[in-house]
Amino acid sequence: MFKKILFATSATEASDHAARVAFNIAKTYQSNLNIFHVLGVPTRGYSQVVVDVKTKERVDVDEDYTAWVTEEIKIYYEKYLDEPLDYTIDVAIGLPAREILRQAKTLQPDLILIGGSTGDEDDIVYKKSSVGSTLQKVAKAAKCPVLIVNRPAASFWGGLSNIVFGTDFSKTSDKAFDFAIKVAKALDCELSVFHALDITSLHTGKMLSQDEIEQQIRECLRKIRSRYESRLKELKGYSMDVWEGIPFIEIVKYARDKQADLLIMAHHSRRAPSGDIKLGGNVEQVIVRAGCPVISINK
Amino acid sequence: MPEGTLCNKMPVDTAEGITTLLSDTSGDTYYQEMKELEVDSDLLWKTIQNTCKSRMKTWLEICAHCGMCAESCFLYLVNGRDPKQVPAYKIQSTLGEIIKRKGKVDNQFMRDTMEVAWAKCTCCNRCGMYCPHGIDTGIMFGYLRGLLYQQGFVPWELKIGAGMHRVYRAQMDVTDADFVDTFEWMVEEYEDDYPGLTVPVDKEGAGIMYTVNAREVKHYPEDLAEAAILFHIAGENWTVPSKGWEETSLAMFAGDWAACKMQVESVYDAMERLKPKRMIGTECGHAHRATVIEGPYWAGRKNGQPPVESIHYVEWLAEALNTGKLKIDPSKRIKEPVTLQDSCNYIRNQGLKQATRDIMKHIVAPGYFIEMSPNKEHNYCCGGGGGFNGIGKFRKQRNIALIAKRDQILATGAKLVLAPCHNCWDAIRDLEEEYEIGIRWSFLKPIVIKMLDIPDHLRPEE
Amino acid sequence: MHDLLTGIFFWSALGICLMGMLVRFIMYFKGLSWRLDRVAYTSYPGAGFKGAVRSIYKWLIPFGTYGWRTQPFIAVVFFGFHIGAVLIPLFLLGHNLFLKEKLGISFFTLNAAFADILTWTVVASAFFLVLRRLVLPEVRIMTTLYDYFILAISIAPFVTGLFARYQVGEYSFWLNMHIFCGELLLIAIPFTKLSHVFLFFASRAQLGMDFGIKRGGMKGTKMAW
Repeated sequence: MFKKILFATSATEASDHAARVAFNIAKTYQSNLNIFHVLGVPTRGYSQVVVDVKTKERVDVDEDYTAWVTEEIKIYYEKYLDEPLDYTIDVAIGLPAREILRQAKTLQPDLILIGGSTGDEDDIVYKKSSVGSTLQKVAKAAKCPVLIVNRPAASFWGGLSNIVFGTDFSKTSDKAFDFAIKVAKALDCELSVFHALDITSLHTGKMLSQDEIEQQIRECLRKIRSRYESRLKELKGYSMDVWEGIPFIEIVKYARDKQADLLIMAHHSRRAPSGDIKLGGNVEQVIVRAGCPVISINK
Repeated sequence: MPEGTLCNKMPVDTAEGITTLLSDTSGDTYYQEMKELEVDSDLLWKTIQNTCKSRMKTWLEICAHCGMCAESCFLYLVNGRDPKQVPAYKIQSTLGEIIKRKGKVDNQFMRDTMEVAWAKCTCCNRCGMYCPHGIDTGIMFGYLRGLLYQQGFVPWELKIGAGMHRVYRAQMDVTDADFVDTFEWMVEEYEDDYPGLTVPVDKEGAGIMYTVNAREVKHYPEDLAEAAILFHIAGENWTVPSKGWEETSLAMFAGDWAACKMQVESVYDAMERLKPKRMIGTECGHAHRATVIEGPYWAGRKNGQPPVESIHYVEWLAEALNTGKLKIDPSKRIKEPVTLQDSCNYIRNQGLKQATRDIMKHIVAPGYFIEMSPNKEHNYCCGGGGGFNGIGKFRKQRNIALIAKRDQILATGAKLVLAPCHNCWDAIRDLEEEYEIGIRWSFLKPIVIKMLDIPDHLRPEE
Repeated sequence: MHDLLTGIFFWSALGICLMGMLVRFIMYFKGLSWRLDRVAYTSYPGAGFKGAVRSIYKWLIPFGTYGWRTQPFIAVVFFGFHIGAVLIPLFLLGHNLFLKEKLGISFFTLNAAFADILTWTVVASAFFLVLRRLVLPEVRIMTTLYDYFILAISIAPFVTGLFARYQVGEYSFWLNMHIFCGELLLIAIPFTKLSHVFLFFASRAQLGMDFGIKRGGMKGTKMAW
């Protein structure tokens, strides 16, 4: 399932939760784990000076320095690396999101694993959910599933048994569904297909009557059945639900309700019509709030 | 040890040579060796006799020492009006002195001269506009850098930079394959958002041949995608060459004229091979100066023009907006105080001030564009031009140099600075990092893309 | 003595000055190189000419350029010095009478009172030029004895002329001194920094061509001097 995993890390506390999940998955599924660290932003034009993400110091990057950083990473993850594990460590210079994507392009991993930050809001490199963050850029452009562990709560992970798949009936969602089915089958999990009916006036432009809401819920359920049920039957267990509300909140609630170990969603790379990325992006909101790892699928 | 293993009179022209130089952290050994480097006075004097002719000889001779250039130099102003920063003094005490002594100068003198040439002048040419005699000290400093390079007295990063051009025909170790590959990769990443988006490589007879800055390929490849998107939406017939795609020239900053020639010839070869109607370079100032303004002369083109008409990105963008090839959604225009950085290399040195102002008219809602003072061809250098940004040894001096731009920006009250030039963009980013005045900065491409009114047939299907 | 000064000395000085200027002027333009200067002089004579004329013309007007306007003090002193320094030698009544006698030509003649004012302005301006060199650090650092020497030989004919004009002491002595200094100045012109009296035009023309051809002129932008 996950033969090759690219784990992008800052090798600081900010990535600790993601690290726990990364090493856990790699061990459980005997994956090849590429621990990838982006040193920093190449400031000063064509000079060799880089601001180190970790130390925030200006350093001259050369082979010695990269070797030293690699060693530091090994020490940082010592407790995980003690046990037998098929891993490699790479260090690159550049803007984190871009370099992670570049590494993914070369490595062609089955999964990119990336952490959020733990509240150090000044950490400009692995920022939470504001515009242009590393997370957002990677999730938007990656060609393989991206697994994001943002909250500490999401990292206490004992294996997979319940997967929630959130759909909005788009083409990308269909692709995400293919992946969800694949995972559920391979790992023998239950899969819950979920759709959140957006009843915020922002979306509909008017308040819906309860009859209308229930009418729409019935329609959505029908849609889920016709689209997905035939394939869901191959699994040992599945369920299908539609709840109404603010979509990202409902998805998070639903996942909690189902005690999900993993949330799978499609990432909509298209810009929200309003152009306001801060508000847009259900997936991004879910990532920030979810109590379990989230896999975002783009292509 | 007159000639060092790292610091010597030989240019670097192998990949191994570059790696060796790079592995010398901060150039510590390099600068140590420089202290022992011998000055070849005969060569120096012979070169001067062959190349310092009418114009420059006259400049040096008739300088009246009137000091009118002092006020024109931003480095003089930000360094507490230090008389040693007066342009005329700077050139007379270096190039003037070398000529006076017929090239018989010692190692210490050459190292001091190196500091003046790279840390006390950005070759912004502003003083040339303020001299009653029409003496352009910036040009003389460019010339002096050439002499210093020939003798091996050149900052470490620039020796590497010039070497990169010699080896890769690019300012960084980006190969032709890397370039095409990265461009295609970026376009692929964006093709869902912009159906039909492609990057036509090596297409003959296209309307536009686009050239870039290797740094975009290496660190900011989004810029490539943005360029493709804008050409695509404007309906341009464009192409990129798989060879000769690098418009910049660190060799120019270094004074390595032979490498300058090699670099521009690679671009001119691409022009001749692909026969485009026009060449357009990215949002870079020195790249335009190197490839379009100075380049033809390095390549020995007597009419001073590249093989095909070559224009700066801002000229194309202004044209596309003025003719309606690109349409801006008026509701998405910038509605906050915004200012514009005029790049010395194509504003003062090629008079393109109207193009950028046309663009501002289209993308900024009325009343929000605030000019810096002074502006246009009288604008100050960003503080990092002429190679200053990249030289670690002169970092301190460079940070002081940023003060002029910082104060100009603060005076406008704008929090957003548009800088259609890589060097300016870097310098402004660095000044925010250094002085934290709370500004944002941007190239034009990403700003314009966000506010485009895209025709229906180019939008993605829902 | 007087005969010698107004005779062979005068002819030699004038000849050396004119020939020297002519030769150096031609040499200057012959020495321009499109390759070294990186300006395609001959390919675009029209654009070059326009740029050159504009570059000279703008700087000849008091406060005509950004540079003059930003530094009004030096502008006043500078023009105070140069207007007189050009007009007095050519258009003073006495000089014209002398020229008429020697060469058979004469120019327009300045009103005597106005000439007096101009001359005093030159001397006063020279005083301020010296003062500037002594007081302003940015000028002092570059100033050499040579600069004072140039100023001295430029101002000497004016000072001696004034002594003669007001007949301080012996008139004929000051007159001879005046003529001597004038001739010294003429000879110095082609060989010293004073060559700027004609090379100013050459150098300005060159930069004008540079801007007119390469740096924006052909893009339709006039240099905002």
